Amino acid sequence: MGLERLKKVRASFAADLAAAGSDPDAVETLRVAYAGRKSGLLQDLTAALRELPNEAKRDYGQALNELKKFVEDGLKQAKERAAASAGSSSVGQIDVTLPGRALPRGAEHPVHLVRRRIEEIFLRMGYDVESGPEIEDDWHNFEALNIPPDHPARDDQDTFYVGSNLLRTHTSPVQARVMERTQPPIRIVVPGRVYRRDSDLRHSPMFHQLEGLVVDEGITVGNLKATLETFLHALFSDDVQVRLRPGYFPFTEPSAEVDISCIFCDMKGCGVCSGSGWIEILGSGMVDPRVFEAVGIDPERYTGFAFGLGLDRVAMLQYGIPDLRQLFAGDQRLTRQFE
Amino acid sequence: MNFDAAWLMDLLDSPPGADEMTDKLTACGFLVELREEGDGGEIWDVEVTTNRPDAMNHRGLAREAALAAGATLKPFEFELDESDEPSSDLATVEIDDPTMCTRFCARVIRGVAAASSPEWMQRRLANSGVRPISAIVDVTNYVLLEFGQPLHAYDLAKVGGARLIARRAVAGESLVTLDGETRKLEPGMPVIADAYDVVGLAGIMGGADSEIGDDTVDVLLEAANFDALSIRRAARKLGMHTEASHRFERGADPELPPLAIDYAAALIAEFTGGTVCAGRIDVRPRPWEPHELTTTASKLSSFMGLEIPLARLVEIANGLDLNPRTDGDTIICSVPSYRVDLEREADLIEEFVRHVGFDAIPARLPVLATAPGRRNPNWELVDRARSAAVNVGLAEIMTWSFIDPDSDAAVESLPMCPGQAVQLDNPLASTQATMRRSLLPGLLSAVRDNLNQGERTVAVFEQGRVFWFADGAPAEGERLAVALVGSRLGRDRAVDFADLKGVVDAIADELGYPNHRWRRGGGPWLDEAQAAVIETDDGKTIGSAGLVDHSMAKKWDIKTPVYVAELDLAAAAEEIPLPSFVELPRTPAVTADMTVEHPTDLSYADLHTVARELAGDLVEAIDLQTRYTGKGLPSGAVRSTLRLTYRAADRSLTQDEVNDQQEALREGLSRRLGVTFA
Repeated sequence: MGLERLKKVRASFAADLAAAGSDPDAVETLRVAYAGRKSGLLQDLTAALRELPNEAKRDYGQALNELKKFVEDGLKQAKERAAASAGSSSVGQIDVTLPGRALPRGAEHPVHLVRRRIEEIFLRMGYDVESGPEIEDDWHNFEALNIPPDHPARDDQDTFYVGSNLLRTHTSPVQARVMERTQPPIRIVVPGRVYRRDSDLRHSPMFHQLEGLVVDEGITVGNLKATLETFLHALFSDDVQVRLRPGYFPFTEPSAEVDISCIFCDMKGCGVCSGSGWIEILGSGMVDPRVFEAVGIDPERYTGFAFGLGLDRVAMLQYGIPDLRQLFAGDQRLTRQFE
Repeated sequence: MNFDAAWLMDLLDSPPGADEMTDKLTACGFLVELREEGDGGEIWDVEVTTNRPDAMNHRGLAREAALAAGATLKPFEFELDESDEPSSDLATVEIDDPTMCTRFCARVIRGVAAASSPEWMQRRLANSGVRPISAIVDVTNYVLLEFGQPLHAYDLAKVGGARLIARRAVAGESLVTLDGETRKLEPGMPVIADAYDVVGLAGIMGGADSEIGDDTVDVLLEAANFDALSIRRAARKLGMHTEASHRFERGADPELPPLAIDYAAALIAEFTGGTVCAGRIDVRPRPWEPHELTTTASKLSSFMGLEIPLARLVEIANGLDLNPRTDGDTIICSVPSYRVDLEREADLIEEFVRHVGFDAIPARLPVLATAPGRRNPNWELVDRARSAAVNVGLAEIMTWSFIDPDSDAAVESLPMCPGQAVQLDNPLASTQATMRRSLLPGLLSAVRDNLNQGERTVAVFEQGRVFWFADGAPAEGERLAVALVGSRLGRDRAVDFADLKGVVDAIADELGYPNHRWRRGGGPWLDEAQAAVIETDDGKTIGSAGLVDHSMAKKWDIKTPVYVAELDLAAAAEEIPLPSFVELPRTPAVTADMTVEHPTDLSYADLHTVARELAGDLVEAIDLQTRYTGKGLPSGAVRSTLRLTYRAADRSLTQDEVNDQQEALREGLSRRLGVTFA
């Protein structure tokens, strides 16, 4: 008998629900009638449970729970429909241009974005990604790289000192460390934070570099050139022109400064390229035999090339960030542009 | 360095046009950075690398330009008339220390009158960035700019004993230099002295006392060669940088002084009406000796990746005045005195690469072993941490590795302060003098700056290194820190401790601390009521988290509640084990709630642990459903509603079974923890 009644209530609720549509008042009346705390129909049905003989209680209870859920779900949906239609004149239509419920989104710092992009390019070419300490000794930062004390190159890399140690002025000491512990073939890139005692619009006392090194038998200047072209095409676009011109670094000989055709003005000359049509993007060269000698690699047997570039500078170029120091100001609005 | 383009071109026979010339110079290593209109022609700003002092003058650069552009360098000719009176009767020169001065030439020009240099010379000087002053000074500068030899002119009457001595300074000496500054000299600094006093900083700047003036009648001219390292050390110590020191530091041509002094003397005589005395004083303890460098065409070809005929190498070597000869495949070059940079075979190879040109070398990728690239564990670790933080909605920031010593001192009381601070010997600013031992000070400064920019919600993280001393040696470690302020992103309510914990747990799980635990505590940095230390299973501290204490927030000028956490990445698992699959359940689960009333000082962790112990195998999970304190409860009491999920692998559970289990658990909890049930 109890179960029959539950079936009827279920049927009548379904009918009433359909009739109420998305009219908020009708839905509320329906809620009071069925699920009201004081005199709702479900309350009555729950009370009826107690009067049933024990053997019938279980089936009735189960069916009652199902009915309760049916009513709850039905009312919930009806309420949502009513709420949705409250903002719109036509029944059931919502304004799809209303903003969605935003989920929190994080963002990487642009310098890391650039770092990971460049790492990916070299990982695909089979390079390992290495790291090393930021507080270095003089040997790895300078002497092993053919920069003895009093070398003029030390002027260009004004250094922060910590007693007999220093804050590395470039990522190149990691080259020296890797070569000390590994015999060729070696092919690595080393991204990392570096420091120079210099601060103005174009210089920051802290910045980021990425260094590359390949050492093996028979590595040529042509290999260096092709590697840099391949890398710069992958990083910027296949359309950029790459120019190597002789330069000077103590740890490579011959050395080459590497320019790309200006990506902003198509080489017509603009503020970014100082009117020259070229943007200086990295430094490179063939590893100086003195460096090989310093780290215990036979310069008669092996040759190699190395290159380095500023990650911050690439980020600034690619995203059009004007001031290097802005990258380290901790402003979340800068990062959130890269969500 | 600025070059007068017309002057440069004037040194060449049949030079190309300016556009071609600047391109060729750039291609062989002398980047023409800027071309601008000067007086009567262009001024070229050319980047001459520090290893090429020989090209830091018009004639030196013209030599490179001639080879690069297929032009020829005009021979240099001039006439010098001398009187019968020997220079050596009027002045003497001594080299006291040959390790600082390798050659000292001098000449005397008598009867000079104050005059200006001719207009053409003034124009060339001005275009090269040197201000014309007087005929004599201008000539010394002009010869420097044409040949690269620094010269100095003394008023002979003011040189005591008419005697110049190249020696090292002794204790207590000082000198007023031409710029009017009084320089205290350290013992060992290279100086030029007369019979009584120091009259010049050798190779850097002359003294004011013996300066040429309008009343100068007799000029004593100096052209010397000084040891690069001695000049460099002195210039650095004195904080001076001059045209002369710039060149001597990098290495000047030891064979140049005679020619330079003769030419300068001739010009001075011409412009001032003076007479050049007979003979050149030339003191040199040790003559310059040429040396040879050798390489082979085959070695060079395989190094470049381009076949280079020997004939081409000979052509280049001739253009560089290397007097080449060949022996089979071998080319032997004699290094001229001005090429102080050519010491080894590698230096010679560079010359050939430079003039063959990178453009001519075909690009060919190296053939390398085919092993896949690997990232070192440190980068794997930090990027895992970083991506976990990005995934929970945080924006990454970077702040300085060096911070204010005061801010750093506040770190001492942190549970994760690693050790003694690392101070910089020569910071740029006193507020950037200490290497950070925690990311939190920098993060708090960033939070403050973001709030000051009008941001109401800040959700940021920084990943980076901290530094300290361990057993007297500097050490560094990777950290990740988080700050939450305002409302939780995407939600319309204020952030609280649970938000922070959710964020930190997500990152910690990603780092491979799945069983890390939180316990109360955190010291004065964090508000004691909302502070936690995060530990691994074996009790190692991996982080701290909580609400920044009011006093600390005040120190950073922050008035809004800030939740922060910092994790030490050193304890992270090197490798995260692969998850292993658990057979999916085939039977339904039954849930049942249990509301436990207990004192607030019974932690949820303890309640959960005991409940888990007591619950039988049928309990799959125990989760916190709701927690209630307040009306209807005595103070110090809390109601925790637990939701238990029951499941048996082999059958559907009956309600009775579940009820029995619930009852047994209630009894157990009440016995073990003295809790009651609502």
